Amino acid sequence: MTVMSFVYAATFAMLGVSVLCTLYRLVRGPSVLDRIVCLNALSVLLVSAIAVEAAVRGDTTYVGLMVTIALLGFVGTLTAARFAERRAHDRG
Amino acid sequence: MTTIPSGGSSSAVPAQRSWPRRLLGRLPTVLWLTAMWVILWGDPSPGTVIAGLLVGSACYSAAKLPHIPVRLGFRPLAALRLVAVIGYDLFASSAQVALHVLWRPHRTRGAIVAVPMRTDSDFLLAMLSGGLSLVTGSLVIELNRDQGVVYVHGIPIDSPEAAERLRRQVRRTEELFVRAFGTAEDLAEFERHAEPADGEDGGDRRPGGDS
Amino acid sequence: MTAGDVLTAVLLPLGALFTLIGTIGLVRFPTLLGRMHAAAKPDTVGLVLLLLGAACQLPDIRSAAPLALVALFQFVTVPVLAQTLGRVVYSRGETHAEHLVVDELAEALDRSGDADR
Repeated sequence: MTVMSFVYAATFAMLGVSVLCTLYRLVRGPSVLDRIVCLNALSVLLVSAIAVEAAVRGDTTYVGLMVTIALLGFVGTLTAARFAERRAHDRG
Repeated sequence: MTTIPSGGSSSAVPAQRSWPRRLLGRLPTVLWLTAMWVILWGDPSPGTVIAGLLVGSACYSAAKLPHIPVRLGFRPLAALRLVAVIGYDLFASSAQVALHVLWRPHRTRGAIVAVPMRTDSDFLLAMLSGGLSLVTGSLVIELNRDQGVVYVHGIPIDSPEAAERLRRQVRRTEELFVRAFGTAEDLAEFERHAEPADGEDGGDRRPGGDS
Repeated sequence: MTAGDVLTAVLLPLGALFTLIGTIGLVRFPTLLGRMHAAAKPDTVGLVLLLLGAACQLPDIRSAAPLALVALFQFVTVPVLAQTLGRVVYSRGETHAEHLVVDELAEALDRSGDADR
Protein backbone atom coordinates (compact mmCIF):
# COMPACT_ATOMS: atom_id res chain seq x y z
CA MET A 1 0.00 0.00 0.00
CA THR A 2 2.95 2.29 0.48
CA VAL A 3 3.63 2.07 -3.25
CA MET A 4 0.13 3.27 -3.97
CA SER A 5 0.37 6.18 -1.59
CA PHE A 6 3.64 7.18 -3.24
CA VAL A 7 1.93 6.99 -6.65
CA TYR A 8 -0.91 9.20 -5.44
CA ALA A 9 1.48 11.69 -3.90
CA ALA A 10 3.53 11.91 -7.10
CA THR A 11 0.39 12.38 -9.19
CA PHE A 12 -0.94 15.10 -6.94
CA ALA A 13 2.46 16.79 -6.92
CA MET A 14 2.62 16.88 -10.71
CA LEU A 15 -0.93 18.23 -10.91
CA GLY A 16 -0.04 20.85 -8.32
CA VAL A 17 2.98 22.01 -10.32
CA SER A 18 0.72 22.15 -13.38
CA VAL A 19 -1.70 24.39 -11.52
CA LEU A 20 1.17 26.69 -10.52
CA CYS A 21 2.42 26.89 -14.13
CA THR A 22 -1.08 27.68 -15.33
CA LEU A 23 -1.50 30.36 -12.67
CA TYR A 24 1.80 31.90 -13.75
CA ARG A 25 0.59 32.17 -17.34
CA LEU A 26 -2.79 33.40 -16.10
CA VAL A 27 -1.12 36.28 -14.28
CA ARG A 28 1.47 37.04 -16.95
CA GLY A 29 -1.00 37.16 -19.85
CA PRO A 30 -0.09 38.88 -22.15
CA SER A 31 -3.20 38.43 -24.25
CA VAL A 32 -6.70 38.09 -22.90
CA LEU A 33 -6.94 34.85 -24.89
CA ASP A 34 -4.01 33.46 -22.88
CA ARG A 35 -6.06 34.02 -19.77
CA ILE A 36 -9.11 32.37 -21.29
CA VAL A 37 -7.04 29.34 -22.27
CA CYS A 38 -5.56 29.23 -18.76
CA LEU A 39 -8.96 29.32 -17.08
CA ASN A 40 -10.07 26.42 -19.24
CA ALA A 41 -6.87 24.54 -18.42
CA LEU A 42 -7.54 25.15 -14.72
CA SER A 43 -11.00 23.62 -14.99
CA VAL A 44 -9.53 20.57 -16.71
CA LEU A 45 -6.87 20.33 -13.99
CA LEU A 46 -9.58 20.49 -11.33
CA VAL A 47 -11.45 17.65 -13.02
CA SER A 48 -8.20 15.66 -13.20
CA ALA A 49 -7.55 16.21 -9.52
CA ILE A 50 -11.05 15.02 -8.62
CA ALA A 51 -10.45 11.91 -10.76
CA VAL A 52 -7.34 11.13 -8.72
CA GLU A 53 -9.29 11.79 -5.55
CA ALA A 54 -11.88 9.27 -6.73
CA ALA A 55 -9.07 6.75 -7.21
CA VAL A 56 -7.70 7.41 -3.72
CA ARG A 57 -11.05 6.99 -2.03
CA GLY A 58 -12.28 4.25 -4.35
CA ASP A 59 -15.73 5.75 -4.74
CA THR A 60 -17.39 8.14 -7.16
CA THR A 61 -19.31 10.49 -4.92
CA TYR A 62 -17.78 13.50 -6.64
CA VAL A 63 -18.27 12.41 -10.23
CA GLY A 64 -21.30 14.66 -10.59
CA LEU A 65 -19.00 17.49 -9.60
CA MET A 66 -16.55 16.49 -12.34
CA VAL A 67 -19.24 16.58 -15.01
CA THR A 68 -20.53 19.91 -13.73
CA ILE A 69 -17.11 21.54 -13.66
CA ALA A 70 -16.24 20.18 -17.10
CA LEU A 71 -19.44 21.54 -18.64
CA LEU A 72 -19.24 24.89 -16.81
CA GLY A 73 -15.63 25.29 -17.92
CA PHE A 74 -16.63 24.54 -21.48
CA VAL A 75 -19.55 26.96 -21.59
CA GLY A 76 -17.59 29.67 -19.78
CA THR A 77 -14.58 29.40 -22.07
CA LEU A 78 -16.76 29.43 -25.16
CA THR A 79 -18.63 32.53 -23.99
CA ALA A 80 -15.46 34.38 -23.06
CA ALA A 81 -13.90 33.53 -26.42
CA ARG A 82 -16.97 34.80 -28.25
CA PHE A 83 -16.79 38.10 -26.40
CA ALA A 84 -13.13 38.47 -27.27
CA GLU A 85 -13.95 37.96 -30.92
CA ARG A 86 -16.73 40.51 -30.99
CA ARG A 87 -14.50 43.17 -29.54
CA ALA A 88 -11.95 42.54 -32.28
CA HIS A 89 -14.67 42.99 -34.88
CA ASP A 90 -15.82 46.27 -33.37
CA ARG A 91 -12.33 47.66 -33.46
CA GLY A 92 -11.53 46.89 -37.06
CA MET B 1 -10.79 42.57 -40.69
CA THR B 2 -12.57 40.47 -43.21
CA THR B 3 -13.03 36.79 -42.78
CA ILE B 4 -13.98 34.32 -45.40
CA PRO B 5 -17.70 33.66 -45.02
CA SER B 6 -18.04 30.30 -43.36
CA GLY B 7 -21.44 29.93 -44.94
CA GLY B 8 -24.31 28.60 -42.89
CA SER B 9 -25.48 25.33 -44.28
CA SER B 10 -29.09 25.66 -45.28
CA SER B 11 -30.22 22.08 -45.40
CA ALA B 12 -33.78 21.92 -46.59
CA VAL B 13 -35.97 20.88 -43.69
CA PRO B 14 -39.18 19.15 -44.68
CA ALA B 15 -42.05 21.44 -43.81
CA GLN B 16 -44.50 19.10 -42.22
CA ARG B 17 -44.00 15.52 -41.19
CA SER B 18 -46.45 13.17 -39.64
CA TRP B 19 -46.66 12.93 -35.87
CA PRO B 20 -45.20 9.45 -35.33
CA ARG B 21 -42.30 10.12 -37.66
CA ARG B 22 -41.43 13.33 -35.81
CA LEU B 23 -41.49 11.39 -32.57
CA LEU B 24 -39.26 8.72 -34.08
CA GLY B 25 -36.74 11.34 -35.22
CA ARG B 26 -36.50 12.66 -31.65
CA LEU B 27 -36.25 9.30 -30.00
CA PRO B 28 -32.44 8.89 -30.24
CA THR B 29 -31.77 12.23 -28.54
CA VAL B 30 -34.22 11.53 -25.73
CA LEU B 31 -32.77 8.04 -25.28
CA TRP B 32 -29.28 9.51 -25.09
CA LEU B 33 -30.39 12.08 -22.51
CA THR B 34 -32.00 9.27 -20.51
CA ALA B 35 -28.82 7.20 -20.70
CA MET B 36 -26.79 10.12 -19.33
CA TRP B 37 -29.33 10.64 -16.56
CA VAL B 38 -29.15 6.98 -15.54
CA ILE B 39 -25.36 6.93 -15.67
CA LEU B 40 -25.13 10.04 -13.49
CA TRP B 41 -27.54 8.56 -10.97
CA GLY B 42 -25.49 5.36 -11.12
CA ASP B 43 -28.56 3.23 -10.56
CA PRO B 44 -30.46 1.65 -13.48
CA SER B 45 -33.71 1.02 -11.60
CA PRO B 46 -37.07 1.43 -13.41
CA GLY B 47 -37.92 4.56 -11.42
CA THR B 48 -34.70 6.30 -12.50
CA VAL B 49 -35.24 5.33 -16.13
CA ILE B 50 -38.83 6.65 -16.16
CA ALA B 51 -37.81 9.89 -14.43
CA GLY B 52 -34.97 10.27 -16.94
CA LEU B 53 -37.33 9.75 -19.86
CA LEU B 54 -39.71 12.38 -18.45
CA VAL B 55 -36.98 14.93 -17.78
CA GLY B 56 -35.35 14.23 -21.14
CA SER B 57 -38.58 14.71 -23.08
CA ALA B 58 -39.44 17.84 -21.09
CA CYS B 59 -36.02 19.39 -21.73
CA TYR B 60 -36.14 18.41 -25.38
CA SER B 61 -39.56 19.90 -25.99
CA ALA B 62 -38.66 23.02 -24.03
CA ALA B 63 -35.49 23.57 -26.06
CA LYS B 64 -37.37 23.37 -29.40
CA LEU B 65 -34.28 22.22 -31.27
CA PRO B 66 -34.49 22.31 -35.04
CA HIS B 67 -34.67 18.91 -36.62
CA ILE B 68 -31.76 18.30 -38.94
CA PRO B 69 -31.96 15.15 -41.00
CA VAL B 70 -28.83 13.12 -40.36
CA ARG B 71 -27.40 11.61 -43.48
CA LEU B 72 -24.57 9.43 -42.34
CA GLY B 73 -23.53 5.91 -43.01
CA PHE B 74 -21.65 3.72 -40.58
CA ARG B 75 -19.05 1.10 -41.35
CA PRO B 76 -17.88 -0.52 -38.11
CA LEU B 77 -14.51 -1.70 -39.40
CA ALA B 78 -13.59 1.64 -40.95
CA ALA B 79 -14.81 3.42 -37.82
CA LEU B 80 -12.61 1.21 -35.69
CA ARG B 81 -9.66 2.04 -37.90
CA LEU B 82 -10.50 5.73 -37.61
CA VAL B 83 -10.60 5.54 -33.82
CA ALA B 84 -7.28 3.68 -33.81
CA VAL B 85 -5.62 6.23 -36.09
CA ILE B 86 -6.98 9.21 -34.13
CA GLY B 87 -5.90 7.63 -30.87
CA TYR B 88 -2.43 6.93 -32.24
CA ASP B 89 -2.16 10.47 -33.65
CA LEU B 90 -3.29 11.88 -30.32
CA PHE B 91 -0.47 10.11 -28.46
CA ALA B 92 2.21 10.46 -31.12
CA SER B 93 1.68 14.16 -31.66
CA SER B 94 1.37 14.78 -27.93
CA ALA B 95 4.77 13.15 -27.49
CA GLN B 96 6.17 15.20 -30.36
CA VAL B 97 4.87 18.45 -28.93
CA ALA B 98 6.18 17.39 -25.52
CA LEU B 99 9.63 17.00 -27.04
CA HIS B 100 9.45 20.53 -28.40
CA VAL B 101 8.20 21.85 -25.08
CA LEU B 102 11.25 20.52 -23.28
CA TRP B 103 13.78 21.19 -26.04
CA ARG B 104 13.97 24.75 -27.36
CA PRO B 105 10.33 25.83 -27.45
CA HIS B 106 11.38 29.28 -28.63
CA ARG B 107 12.43 27.89 -31.98
CA THR B 108 9.19 26.00 -32.56
CA ARG B 109 7.30 27.33 -35.51
CA GLY B 110 3.92 26.50 -36.97
CA ALA B 111 2.14 26.91 -40.27
CA ILE B 112 -1.35 27.49 -41.57
CA VAL B 113 -2.07 25.36 -44.61
CA ALA B 114 -5.10 25.30 -46.85
CA VAL B 115 -6.42 21.85 -47.60
CA PRO B 116 -9.11 21.47 -50.26
CA MET B 117 -11.71 18.96 -49.15
CA ARG B 118 -13.07 16.22 -51.34
CA THR B 119 -16.39 15.83 -49.58
CA ASP B 120 -19.33 18.19 -49.39
CA SER B 121 -21.33 16.75 -46.53
CA ASP B 122 -21.95 19.14 -43.62
CA PHE B 123 -21.80 16.36 -41.09
CA LEU B 124 -18.60 14.88 -42.41
CA LEU B 125 -16.89 18.27 -42.49
CA ALA B 126 -18.01 19.00 -38.92
CA MET B 127 -16.78 15.62 -37.71
CA LEU B 128 -13.53 16.00 -39.62
CA SER B 129 -12.74 19.41 -38.18
CA GLY B 130 -13.57 18.07 -34.74
CA GLY B 131 -11.26 15.13 -35.22
CA LEU B 132 -8.47 17.33 -36.54
CA SER B 133 -8.77 19.80 -33.69
CA LEU B 134 -8.68 16.98 -31.18
CA VAL B 135 -5.24 15.84 -32.26
CA THR B 136 -2.41 17.79 -30.68
CA GLY B 137 -0.54 19.84 -33.18
CA SER B 138 -3.35 20.47 -35.60
CA LEU B 139 -6.14 22.95 -35.25
CA VAL B 140 -8.82 23.97 -37.72
CA ILE B 141 -8.84 27.74 -37.89
CA GLU B 142 -11.29 28.43 -40.65
CA LEU B 143 -13.62 26.37 -42.75
CA ASN B 144 -14.57 27.88 -46.07
CA ARG B 145 -17.83 26.13 -46.80
CA ASP B 146 -18.34 27.62 -50.28
CA GLN B 147 -15.06 26.40 -51.69
CA GLY B 148 -14.76 23.40 -49.41
CA VAL B 149 -11.35 24.38 -48.03
CA VAL B 150 -10.20 23.97 -44.44
CA TYR B 151 -7.37 26.04 -43.01
CA VAL B 152 -5.38 24.03 -40.52
CA HIS B 153 -2.76 25.35 -38.13
CA GLY B 154 -0.09 22.82 -37.37
CA ILE B 155 2.74 22.67 -34.87
CA PRO B 156 5.69 21.92 -34.90
CA ILE B 157 6.45 22.75 -38.52
CA ASP B 158 9.80 24.22 -39.54
CA SER B 159 9.97 23.64 -43.30
CA PRO B 160 7.71 23.51 -46.36
CA GLU B 161 8.20 19.74 -46.38
CA ALA B 162 6.71 19.48 -42.90
CA ALA B 163 3.79 21.64 -44.03
CA GLU B 164 3.29 19.19 -46.87
CA ARG B 165 3.29 16.33 -44.37
CA LEU B 166 0.57 18.10 -42.38
CA ARG B 167 -1.47 18.47 -45.56
CA ARG B 168 -1.11 14.78 -46.32
CA GLN B 169 -2.10 13.90 -42.78
CA VAL B 170 -5.24 16.04 -43.02
CA ARG B 171 -6.20 14.41 -46.31
CA ARG B 172 -5.64 10.96 -44.86
CA THR B 173 -7.84 11.78 -41.86
CA GLU B 174 -10.50 13.05 -44.24
CA GLU B 175 -10.39 9.80 -46.18
CA LEU B 176 -10.76 7.81 -42.97
CA PHE B 177 -13.76 9.88 -41.89
CA VAL B 178 -15.49 9.53 -45.25
CA ARG B 179 -14.89 5.79 -45.29
CA ALA B 180 -16.18 5.40 -41.74
CA PHE B 181 -19.23 7.66 -41.70
CA GLY B 182 -20.00 8.72 -45.25
CA THR B 183 -23.09 7.53 -47.08
CA ALA B 184 -22.68 5.69 -50.38
CA GLU B 185 -23.12 9.00 -52.25
CA ASP B 186 -20.47 10.71 -50.14
CA LEU B 187 -18.09 7.89 -50.84
CA ALA B 188 -18.82 8.01 -54.56
CA GLU B 189 -18.26 11.76 -54.66
CA PHE B 190 -15.07 11.35 -52.68
CA GLU B 191 -13.74 8.76 -55.13
CA ARG B 192 -14.68 11.02 -58.05
CA HIS B 193 -12.75 13.93 -56.52
CA ALA B 194 -9.85 11.83 -55.37
CA GLU B 195 -8.50 10.83 -58.77
CA PRO B 196 -7.97 14.21 -60.46
CA ALA B 197 -7.36 16.14 -57.23
CA ASP B 198 -4.41 14.00 -56.22
CA GLY B 199 -2.66 14.55 -59.55
CA GLU B 200 -3.36 18.28 -59.54
CA ASP B 201 -2.27 18.98 -56.01
CA GLY B 202 0.80 16.83 -56.26
CA GLY B 203 1.75 18.95 -59.27
CA ASP B 204 1.40 22.53 -58.17
CA ARG B 205 1.94 22.21 -54.44
CA ARG B 206 5.10 20.17 -54.42
CA PRO B 207 7.48 22.05 -52.13
CA GLY B 208 10.41 22.04 -54.53
CA GLY B 209 8.28 23.09 -57.49
CA ASP B 210 7.84 26.76 -56.74
CA SER B 211 11.28 27.61 -55.48
CA MET C 1 -0.79 -5.27 -5.09
CA THR C 2 -3.47 -6.42 -7.50
CA ALA C 3 -3.42 -6.04 -11.29
CA GLY C 4 -5.70 -3.02 -10.96
CA ASP C 5 -3.23 -1.40 -8.60
CA VAL C 6 -0.39 -1.94 -11.08
CA LEU C 7 -2.44 -0.39 -13.90
CA THR C 8 -3.31 2.56 -11.70
CA ALA C 9 0.30 2.98 -10.64
CA VAL C 10 1.29 3.22 -14.30
CA LEU C 11 -1.62 5.26 -15.66
CA LEU C 12 -1.98 7.92 -12.97
CA PRO C 13 1.61 9.27 -13.07
CA LEU C 14 1.65 8.98 -16.86
CA GLY C 15 -1.52 11.03 -17.14
CA ALA C 16 -0.22 13.60 -14.68
CA LEU C 17 3.03 13.75 -16.66
CA PHE C 18 1.15 14.52 -19.89
CA THR C 19 -0.78 17.24 -18.08
CA LEU C 20 2.41 18.65 -16.60
CA ILE C 21 4.21 18.76 -19.95
CA GLY C 22 1.19 20.45 -21.50
CA THR C 23 1.19 23.17 -18.89
CA ILE C 24 4.94 23.63 -19.14
CA GLY C 25 4.28 24.21 -22.82
CA LEU C 26 1.65 26.74 -21.81
CA VAL C 27 4.41 28.65 -20.04
CA ARG C 28 7.25 28.19 -22.50
CA PHE C 29 5.84 28.42 -26.03
CA PRO C 30 6.40 31.86 -27.55
CA THR C 31 3.19 32.12 -29.59
CA LEU C 32 -0.43 32.18 -28.56
CA LEU C 33 -1.41 29.42 -30.99
CA GLY C 34 1.45 27.26 -29.77
CA ARG C 35 0.34 27.78 -26.19
CA MET C 36 -3.18 26.78 -27.13
CA HIS C 37 -1.91 23.56 -28.69
CA ALA C 38 0.15 22.83 -25.62
CA ALA C 39 -2.61 23.65 -23.16
CA ALA C 40 -5.67 21.93 -24.53
CA LYS C 41 -4.73 18.59 -25.98
CA PRO C 42 -2.05 17.04 -23.75
CA ASP C 43 -4.49 17.90 -20.95
CA THR C 44 -7.07 15.75 -22.69
CA VAL C 45 -4.69 12.81 -23.06
CA GLY C 46 -3.67 13.28 -19.45
CA LEU C 47 -7.24 13.44 -18.23
CA VAL C 48 -8.20 10.29 -20.12
CA LEU C 49 -5.21 8.42 -18.67
CA LEU C 50 -6.07 9.66 -15.18
CA LEU C 51 -9.69 8.58 -15.62
CA LEU C 52 -8.57 5.14 -16.81
CA GLY C 53 -6.25 4.87 -13.85
CA ALA C 54 -8.99 5.93 -11.47
CA ALA C 55 -11.44 3.47 -13.03
CA CYS C 56 -9.07 0.60 -12.12
CA GLN C 57 -9.47 1.50 -8.44
CA LEU C 58 -13.27 1.44 -8.45
CA PRO C 59 -15.09 -1.64 -7.20
CA ASP C 60 -17.29 -2.35 -10.23
CA ILE C 61 -18.02 -1.18 -13.75
CA ARG C 62 -21.23 0.57 -12.71
CA SER C 63 -19.44 3.15 -10.63
CA ALA C 64 -16.84 3.60 -13.40
CA ALA C 65 -19.45 4.50 -16.03
CA PRO C 66 -19.67 8.20 -15.02
CA LEU C 67 -15.92 8.48 -15.58
CA ALA C 68 -16.48 7.40 -19.20
CA LEU C 69 -19.07 10.15 -19.44
CA VAL C 70 -16.49 12.72 -18.28
CA ALA C 71 -14.01 11.48 -20.89
CA LEU C 72 -16.70 11.67 -23.56
CA PHE C 73 -17.56 15.27 -22.64
CA GLN C 74 -13.89 16.16 -22.79
CA PHE C 75 -13.53 14.61 -26.26
CA VAL C 76 -16.58 16.48 -27.50
CA THR C 77 -15.79 19.87 -25.99
CA VAL C 78 -12.06 20.13 -26.71
CA PRO C 79 -12.36 20.36 -30.53
CA VAL C 80 -15.14 22.94 -30.24
CA LEU C 81 -13.07 25.10 -27.91
CA ALA C 82 -9.89 24.68 -29.96
CA GLN C 83 -11.66 25.71 -33.13
CA THR C 84 -13.45 28.69 -31.60
CA LEU C 85 -10.29 29.93 -29.92
CA GLY C 86 -8.28 29.41 -33.11
CA ARG C 87 -10.72 31.52 -35.07
CA VAL C 88 -10.75 34.22 -32.41
CA VAL C 89 -6.95 34.30 -32.30
CA TYR C 90 -6.81 34.69 -36.04
CA SER C 91 -9.53 37.33 -36.12
CA ARG C 92 -7.58 39.36 -33.56
CA GLY C 93 -4.40 39.00 -35.58
CA GLU C 94 -2.39 37.52 -32.71
CA THR C 95 -0.76 34.84 -34.81
CA HIS C 96 2.90 36.03 -34.73
CA ALA C 97 3.74 35.86 -38.44
CA GLU C 98 7.47 35.39 -37.76
CA HIS C 99 6.70 32.02 -36.20
CA LEU C 100 4.66 30.79 -39.15
CA VAL C 101 6.33 28.98 -42.02
CA VAL C 102 3.41 29.56 -44.37
CA ASP C 103 0.06 31.23 -43.82
CA GLU C 104 -2.22 30.19 -46.62
CA LEU C 105 -5.28 31.66 -44.93
CA ALA C 106 -3.73 35.14 -45.18
CA GLU C 107 -2.95 34.47 -48.83
CA ALA C 108 -6.54 33.41 -49.44
CA LEU C 109 -7.82 36.51 -47.64
CA ASP C 110 -5.56 38.69 -49.77
CA ARG C 111 -6.91 37.06 -52.90
CA SER C 112 -10.54 37.54 -51.85
CA GLY C 113 -9.70 41.14 -50.92
CA ASP C 114 -8.32 41.68 -54.43
CA ALA C 115 -11.43 40.16 -55.92
CA ASP C 116 -13.62 42.55 -53.95
CA ARG C 117 -11.83 45.59 -55.20
